[in-house]
Amino acid sequence: MTTVTERPAASPAPSAESRRDRRRRERIEEQDAAIPVELYGLKRGTVPVLTACCVLFAVFTLVPVAWIIFNATKTQANIFGTFGFWFARPFEFFHNFRMLFENVDDDGTYIQWFGNTALYAVLGGGGATALAAFAGYGFAMFRFRGSKVLFYIIIGSLLVPIGAITLPLYLVYAKAHLINSIWGLILPSMVAPVGVYLMRTYIGLSVPRELVDAARIDGAGEARIFFKIALPLMVPGLMTVLLLSVVGVWNNYFLPLIIFSDNNKFPLTVGMGLWSQHATTSGDQNLYPLIVMGGLVTIAPLIILFLILQRYWRSGMLLGSIAN
Amino acid sequence: MSGTAVSTPARSAPQAAPGSGFRVRPGHSAWARRRDRRGLAFVSPFLVAFTLFMIVPLAYAIYDSLFTSRIIGGTTFSGFSNYTQILTSGMFWSGVVRVIIFGAIQIPVMLIIAFFFATAFDLGVAKYGRSFRTIFFIPFAVPVVVAALMWGFLFEPVYGPFSHLANLFGFHNVDFLSSGLMLPSIIVIAIWEWTGYNSLILYTALRSVPRDVVEAAILDDTPLWKIIVKVKLPMVRPAIVMLIFLNTIGALQLFVEPLILNNYSAGVVTLNWTPVLYIFNTSINSAQYNLGAAMAVVLGLVIVAISVTSLLFRRDRGEVS
Repeated sequence: MTTVTERPAASPAPSAESRRDRRRRERIEEQDAAIPVELYGLKRGTVPVLTACCVLFAVFTLVPVAWIIFNATKTQANIFGTFGFWFARPFEFFHNFRMLFENVDDDGTYIQWFGNTALYAVLGGGGATALAAFAGYGFAMFRFRGSKVLFYIIIGSLLVPIGAITLPLYLVYAKAHLINSIWGLILPSMVAPVGVYLMRTYIGLSVPRELVDAARIDGAGEARIFFKIALPLMVPGLMTVLLLSVVGVWNNYFLPLIIFSDNNKFPLTVGMGLWSQHATTSGDQNLYPLIVMGGLVTIAPLIILFLILQRYWRSGMLLGSIAN
Repeated sequence: MSGTAVSTPARSAPQAAPGSGFRVRPGHSAWARRRDRRGLAFVSPFLVAFTLFMIVPLAYAIYDSLFTSRIIGGTTFSGFSNYTQILTSGMFWSGVVRVIIFGAIQIPVMLIIAFFFATAFDLGVAKYGRSFRTIFFIPFAVPVVVAALMWGFLFEPVYGPFSHLANLFGFHNVDFLSSGLMLPSIIVIAIWEWTGYNSLILYTALRSVPRDVVEAAILDDTPLWKIIVKVKLPMVRPAIVMLIFLNTIGALQLFVEPLILNNYSAGVVTLNWTPVLYIFNTSINSAQYNLGAAMAVVLGLVIVAISVTSLLFRRDRGEVS
């Protein structure tokens, strides 16, 4: 009775299906779910006009991205002197990229900031996801004294704006000697009330109570039930929370701006902000190409991450937070 | 798990309890209570972090806001004097008014665009909807600092491509980052940044509208615009209300865009341009921490007040279960 009955591994998706097959299946499912356009009785030309609207907005969306790609290949003179939406000679992409590894004007090294950001995002985002998974599971599966009140307090804290909590954090850090400590950024990043909320909703819908109770009767410990039974069922929800938390840390600017005075601890956002400030005040010849290239290298990983993890992305979960 | 001592707990426990010496609520067995204590164990790591990094700082900020520190005389208790200073000076409120104007324009425009595209994707009346959805979502992955930097280059008054474009259309020497156009420019940036995200959420909400409702409307020969306005829109109204609420909280905290754009156009963005900028400049740059803490508290209260009002409004309409 000390072993849990072996259950078939709860894999989130059958892996036999290839990427292309899955894409095709999803597209067909989507088409099946939609009502055929002909039935709406549209005037002729409506579909092309609407598609054209989409193209226009897509152009608007891609203009800054295109600009940053073209200009990452240019010298400072060409960034300002040539047409913004095409290449120019000399082609300086690799030179600009190499500069990211150098310490310019003692502001700090881009590559160091990149590493910092990745570290903060992994620890902060991962920690936020783990804490949200535990707490969401606790709130979804157990009822204990004060659990409702605690949950409402956590939801209520969603109203507390980042802009209003950041300075208080700084004041506490000044007392607790956490200024310039990377933990001063990572630990508060782990507090994601919205993640707790999303995980509670998701677990309530996707982890059957009967399954958990059955495992208990078989004598499985709570930790074992969580890791072996519940966790595999939570994966899609966890991915959504992880993406949201990682993006949150990757984007964070205000808190690291005020708690770090040591340039070697900056995340990308603060480093780039510093460069942009110095580019205008010091008139340095090299900073603008660096800012453009740095911007490109900053946004590329997240866009790629999103495209890869798209199938895990549960926009329905964001909606779940709204339905209540 | 812990060896043979653990016996399989009886599931229907209330009857078994009287002899055990403590009161048992009906329907809540000793076993269940022990289990629920473990629930607290799952929740506690988050609670510890939540207390340390949310509750404690807030409490400390409120405490700190009641003091005043001077170079001569040290820190003394001053009651609500920081608050009266903030509430009566125009510096703080002019920023509040600016972010309200910002939100009042940006949020409706963005939501209309987002709803327009979400509807088009949902109905399938635009081609390549899947690809467009992905493209529109890209800005969500761009950190606001980087977005502001990119748009700063595009809006730059002397070399920027947008002022060149304006020149071509006969508008000479347009400075998108001048004091008159700074706010509209930031509105454009915010629309760029958030429309795709809002559109995706609305799209998901629209997808969940039951298909047979729409089919019935079609069979009744209801024109499409009427289906959208009379059938779909009411069913996604909770989602829209929630988006208004979330976007309002975001808009009131406007900070990064003006701070970064100020690098391209020095002097336009004043120290108190937005409330969060004013908090930043008062506390971090001028070291008036007590005053800054009081401002953070006031800003928090303003945002809570607006949020609660919007939620009450929602409750009045009977949309909260």
